[in-house]
Amino acid sequence: MTASRRLLPWLLLTPALLIFAGLTLYPLGRTLALSLFATDYGFENAKFVGLENFQELWDSRFFRQAVTNTVVFTVVATVLEVAAGLGLALLLNRAFPGRTLVMTLLLAPFVLSTMVVTAIWRAWFHFDLGFLNNLLRAVGIPGVPWLFDPNLALWSIVLVDLWQTAPFAFLIIFAGLRLIPQDVYEAARVDGAGPWRRFRDMTLPLLAPYLFVAALLRSVDSFKLFDKVYAMTGGGPGQATETVSMFVYRQGFRFFDIGLASAAAVVMIVVAGLLAVVYAASLLKGAGR
Amino acid sequence: MRTIGKALGAVLMLAGLSLPAAAQDRLVIAGRDAGFAPALAKMVELYQAKNPNVKIERLELGGGPLYERLAVGAREKTAATDVAMLDDIWAPEFMARGWLTDLGTVGGLPGEFVKSAMDVSRHDGKLYAAPFVGNIAMFAYRKDLLAKHGFERPKTWSDVVKAAQVIQDKEQGVSGLVFRGIKGNPIVTSFLPVLWAHGGDVVSADGKAVLDTPAAEKALTQFLSFKALAPKGVETYNATELRDAIQQGRAAIAVEMWSSWAGTLDGSASKVANQVEVVASPGEVKGPAPMLGAWLLAIPADSPNKARAADFIRFVTSPENQKLIALETGNPPTLTALFNDKDLVAKYRWYPAQLEALNVAQARPRISQWARVETILGDYLQLALIGQLQPKQALTEANAQIARALSR
Amino acid sequence: MIRIVAAFGLCALSLIPLLWMVATSLKPPAEYVSTSIALWPQDPTLAHYRVLLDSGMWRLGLNSVVVALGTVALSLLAGLPAAYALARFELPRRFDIVFLGFVLVIKLAPPIALAIPLYQVLRALGLLDTHLGLILANQILALPFAIWMLLGFVRDVPYSFEEAAMLDGAGFVKRLLQIVVPLLMPGLVATAVFVAIMSWNEFLFALLFIQTPSKFTLPAFIATLINEDETLWGRLSAMGLIASLPVLLAVGLVRRGLTREVSVDQH
Repeated sequence: MTASRRLLPWLLLTPALLIFAGLTLYPLGRTLALSLFATDYGFENAKFVGLENFQELWDSRFFRQAVTNTVVFTVVATVLEVAAGLGLALLLNRAFPGRTLVMTLLLAPFVLSTMVVTAIWRAWFHFDLGFLNNLLRAVGIPGVPWLFDPNLALWSIVLVDLWQTAPFAFLIIFAGLRLIPQDVYEAARVDGAGPWRRFRDMTLPLLAPYLFVAALLRSVDSFKLFDKVYAMTGGGPGQATETVSMFVYRQGFRFFDIGLASAAAVVMIVVAGLLAVVYAASLLKGAGR
Repeated sequence: MRTIGKALGAVLMLAGLSLPAAAQDRLVIAGRDAGFAPALAKMVELYQAKNPNVKIERLELGGGPLYERLAVGAREKTAATDVAMLDDIWAPEFMARGWLTDLGTVGGLPGEFVKSAMDVSRHDGKLYAAPFVGNIAMFAYRKDLLAKHGFERPKTWSDVVKAAQVIQDKEQGVSGLVFRGIKGNPIVTSFLPVLWAHGGDVVSADGKAVLDTPAAEKALTQFLSFKALAPKGVETYNATELRDAIQQGRAAIAVEMWSSWAGTLDGSASKVANQVEVVASPGEVKGPAPMLGAWLLAIPADSPNKARAADFIRFVTSPENQKLIALETGNPPTLTALFNDKDLVAKYRWYPAQLEALNVAQARPRISQWARVETILGDYLQLALIGQLQPKQALTEANAQIARALSR
Repeated sequence: MIRIVAAFGLCALSLIPLLWMVATSLKPPAEYVSTSIALWPQDPTLAHYRVLLDSGMWRLGLNSVVVALGTVALSLLAGLPAAYALARFELPRRFDIVFLGFVLVIKLAPPIALAIPLYQVLRALGLLDTHLGLILANQILALPFAIWMLLGFVRDVPYSFEEAAMLDGAGFVKRLLQIVVPLLMPGLVATAVFVAIMSWNEFLFALLFIQTPSKFTLPAFIATLINEDETLWGRLSAMGLIASLPVLLAVGLVRRGLTREVSVDQH
């Protein structure tokens, strides 16, 4: 009994461990190893180059641009989405007729396939015939080059991301808002605190952990940005919307510069690991409370 | 739990059923989208009618995605494609790496094809592909507008700039010229005739990167001066936008006009019927060298249905079907005789001239890394076009990257 | 009152793109290739749906269903036992922490970073260009999610129920199937729906690992329709709507569960 009792958890973990070993642990190791070689495929005919691929990344204008774009996108999109989510959560915090319906409908963009989202917005952004420019022209404003002005393209993608994922930030923040006990406010009201002070001194601090989690999860997701860019701009115009994921994709599946692509992938995984540490720390802190 | 198990079983069965069935008479065709799609669609329709038992699947992709899919499939031997449509610039890589089937082993290819298109389909004396679309880069201008402002057919790119400037200034709502500015293959293809006319090149005959020359810098500086004469947003222009700009009379000169786009110039949708002259590209310090842009059909080496694929390719390249494609979709043929065909010349007045151009056409560098070289050059050209890099810096950096790509 | 108007207004604003898609799927090309801002079609047509139906594109929906079901089944079959083990057993050397940390990294890592070697794994298994291969690859996204989510649900099932059954002499398997699984049902369903949505919408792996056109999932097919040169918005919208209906229905079903996921992420 005791022996089988000791074995049982491992037996239960086996399927998951097998899947992770084959589909993540082994690929991770292989990526790490390949990042040290110059190769267009696997290890056959590969030449060991040490850290040359990383040096190359460091020197590459395109990689640096991809990193800059990814960071800018992540920060801006996250801030906007959390702000929008907070606004929505505050708006829907008090019950009113039709609130359930509104909440369900608001979630719709979030569950759509990114490809469907991209299809819609690519059509909307069309310079000559797009819905957005048609609207602008109808009120006498000249059309905006949403996707082909290099200074604007990334912001257009931020707009799409905001539309699609603000509902997600809303969900998290709303959950947090529901957990704030109402008597806290009662006390504050008795003390004569106005709505702004109640928001600033009570709601915001109590919500802070939820805002943080929302921001963290959104930034993790933004950091991976691939689908939208792939189908909306292909990284252009110029390098204006190139992201690190796109960079890895192009090096790996178009140029077959597997070594360089793996090096960039390693950089991404390290960043993901750091984010995981931050996330885990926040979870542990939450558990300790 | 039991239901989940059942569901899993059913799923595994379904997934198993969808494993590649080698015995099936199947034909998977991966080809281009846009203007090329109707040609293949028409051929599939006719071939299916004649061979109702074949299961035909057709995939339509843009140039970049098509290359990625074919190259990945060939490397990984996925056996997922039976007929592949290849840009002639990809052919050296596919042939040298042994990714294509020698057509001689599957019944050969009858017919007399245009020589330059045949040359790019051969490797080590063997024929690996069938010329499918006899595209060549031409140059187009509005003869009415140029004549109105006292210009003749531009002989050099400097003439082009002069004429375009005057028209841009004097004609309301008409841009001086238009070109494809979107990054990747299109901007490179737009730029190459200008580069060659200035005596520059991307890769030398002995396979070295040679973009960091004064000639190339002059060519790029001139090419960048086109932007001010082109419609707003030219950075994202591809074939459709260019053709629309010319057909709707919004631009006077097309820096490049591929014959497969020219098919509708005199059509009912065109506002400029019979006013657009399609001729060979201008020169500059050198005479013009028309650029070949043939599209080929080939059978990937890992195709499980080679005989069927070869049969389809012979069907598509037969004289009657090549003629049908040209008449109905405007994609130019590759069979020599068709360029002097009565019906075709009646519809496309420039065909005899095109045959001459095709016979002396210059293929883009025949190196197996061209796909990568082109992407690098395309990226830097666009950075220069949107003003983020000076011409000299763009060329120097592109040259270094290309040299690295060639060395690997 | 202002609150209600604002809520409904924002809601409407966020739905316009969806409304546009529905309307465009019913418009003849001349109506959407124009500068009109009319949302609703003047001359509605089902032509785009007919084209999709005739060309057998509905079969691609079947592919997406197969892949989604397979992804759900596998992630639950592997995820539930793992979550149970982590919740109920003391594992040596803080293995649970290490394991969960690793799961977290995988959950946060960009899929593209694993794609290149994964390609070679799938090829070695002979699973490239098969739905089974895609189902396996999808586990990278689905399994970490399933484990994290189910972990919270299992912890919520009081152990005393199981202890009571143990006193009655019920074996482990019986306990799991007769007590834990029924109590977990809402959690299992919620997890299944999320994994299904995730798989239904997954794009990168479908793009990379499926080659034969007839095996494409819906997002991979839609990507081939969003090409550079064309504005076939009618067909694209029809396809987009077909691809979206199942998830839009699902969101109505699991809105509660969505909030639940969030609280799982909190603990």
